[in-house]
Amino acid sequence: MRIVNKLLQLSRWIDAVSEWVGRVAYWLVLAMLGIGCWNVVGRYIGQLLGRSFSSNSLIEAQWYLFSFIFLLGAAYTLKHNDHVRVDMFYARWSNKRKALANLVGTVWFLLPFCVLVIMFSWKVILASWQSWEMSPDPGGLPRYPIKSMIIVSFVSLIAQGVSEGIKAIALLTDHLPPPAEPHRAEIGSANESDLGGQP
Amino acid sequence: MSAIADWLGPAMFAGALLLLSLGYPVAFSLGGVAVLFALIGISLGVFEPVFLTAMPTRIFGIMNNFTLLAIPYFIFMGSMLESSGIAENLLETMGQVFGRIRGGLAIAVVVVGALLAATTGVVAATVVTMGLISLPTMLRYGYNKELSVGVIAASGTLGQIIPPSIVLVVLADQLGVSVGDLFIGSLIPGLLMAGAFILHVVVIAIVRPDLVPALPPELLAVQGKRLLLKVGQVMVPPLVLILLVLGSIFFGVATPTEAGALGALGALVLAWANGQLSVKSLREICDRTLRTTSMVMFILLGSTAFSLVFRGLRGDRFINEALVNLPGGQVGFLIVSMTTIFILGFFIDFFEIAFIVVPLFAPIAEQLFGFDRLVWYGVIIGANMQTSFLSPPFGFALFYLRGVAPPEITTGHIYRGIVPFILLQLVVLVLIIAVPQLVEMLL
Repeated sequence: MRIVNKLLQLSRWIDAVSEWVGRVAYWLVLAMLGIGCWNVVGRYIGQLLGRSFSSNSLIEAQWYLFSFIFLLGAAYTLKHNDHVRVDMFYARWSNKRKALANLVGTVWFLLPFCVLVIMFSWKVILASWQSWEMSPDPGGLPRYPIKSMIIVSFVSLIAQGVSEGIKAIALLTDHLPPPAEPHRAEIGSANESDLGGQP
Repeated sequence: MSAIADWLGPAMFAGALLLLSLGYPVAFSLGGVAVLFALIGISLGVFEPVFLTAMPTRIFGIMNNFTLLAIPYFIFMGSMLESSGIAENLLETMGQVFGRIRGGLAIAVVVVGALLAATTGVVAATVVTMGLISLPTMLRYGYNKELSVGVIAASGTLGQIIPPSIVLVVLADQLGVSVGDLFIGSLIPGLLMAGAFILHVVVIAIVRPDLVPALPPELLAVQGKRLLLKVGQVMVPPLVLILLVLGSIFFGVATPTEAGALGALGALVLAWANGQLSVKSLREICDRTLRTTSMVMFILLGSTAFSLVFRGLRGDRFINEALVNLPGGQVGFLIVSMTTIFILGFFIDFFEIAFIVVPLFAPIAEQLFGFDRLVWYGVIIGANMQTSFLSPPFGFALFYLRGVAPPEITTGHIYRGIVPFILLQLVVLVLIIAVPQLVEMLL
């Protein structure tokens, strides 16, 4: 089926973008660490020397980075299957059954949830742009870029959801070999049927 | 009509538990259930979509929540220490120190478990490391199988309750108490649990010495001064880090978030001093921090959508009325809330419980016990969940241990071995409930 192969091509594109965004985003952890330490140390040294080394913009930068990390990392984490699952049953299922669960979950849970968030958020975010909203604190950062990240995050999740859905369909229709790589989310699950089976 | 409206909230709760078992990621399942029940509510005319307009404000509130900022710092610190081989060094050295007495290896496991809990707090990693390093040694030298696996699984979960732990950060945020207070409050209960485990091993060493033999002398290669030096080398760095992080919180020098940032830096420096820091390891740790942070935060976002709809369907009022009118007042509420959390702990992860169930219980706990007792209530929840994670058949710690245990260890050994430790934890839990001063004396 050519259509599935076409779709797989799209899926690879989406995966590549998510991967790239995630790889950039995880280095922000170091930036967040640096700024966090600077804010504490700067506060104390500042008290000693009687001048301020921290500022509202640096304090806000810390949670801006935090938001960037988890909002931009969401699609990447989904791609790597690191969003935690309740895998009592899931862990014991065959690859095809897992793919079916993922397809159903994507269509019924992930996509509607993302649409819901975007639907109820875009007006607030647009208003923030229209008024060039700034932090209420002196010297703070502009708010409109960070608020826009909500939209960016959930749109990227929709894209990654589409990609996961395509991969699930391809696996169900034998266009894709079953995944070989085990991941952290399923540590120990190889023995799980053993665990559940005994009294 | 109104009968349906009344039951839609509870049905949503039950529906969520059912749909979660499909195995799709929790964060999005919760969000999906929210959409589903919002649509059902709208079609029945009992849900106002206006409730959902609070969504962007809630998300934004989560983004700039200063408490939750501590999460990536503590994850970074834990992963960094874990990858720098601190657990392995501690286990080997402590085994040398305690191995010469009966029951010593088991005591070493408890001590290292408590130390790791206070530094990394990563339950899965602790259980896996101890299962890989200590379990084979214990078995080779004739330790009882049940006791060996029991002590490892139990000590590995101490990270839930011994501060600083992400579990306590999240719990504090949901209860509306200060993280520092919850850290301080859980210190004595956490140490009590570790103490109870050690006492249990000591009693066994006296009553049934054959179950916990001492290591043969030829194995204890390092002696005297050299051993002392080695102990200093492996103990000092983590102890300094614990003092740095917990000390600065306890004495009010830094907020938990600030202490987390400094602790993460400290872990980075330690790894560098051990020669374990490379671009590759740094990249892996940043990667893991991003994934875990994103996972936790999106469960919170999913739960937020869930609780907005749940509230719109007046599910919270239903639960509130049911719980406030429980027979037995305070005691009745404690029994019901703790049993609920304990049972849910078999099936779902800590974060789902913290983000969905705890907000339902918190206002009632405040109403019944007063705000000052919320820290105590939080510590009980933490201790309760730790016990729940150890309980067969679904305890998480048991799965992790099963994954790395040698083949001669059967599931039966693990189940039987963990029972005494669950009982010990329940004793400590009852003790904390009966004597709130254990939590509050340091506050």
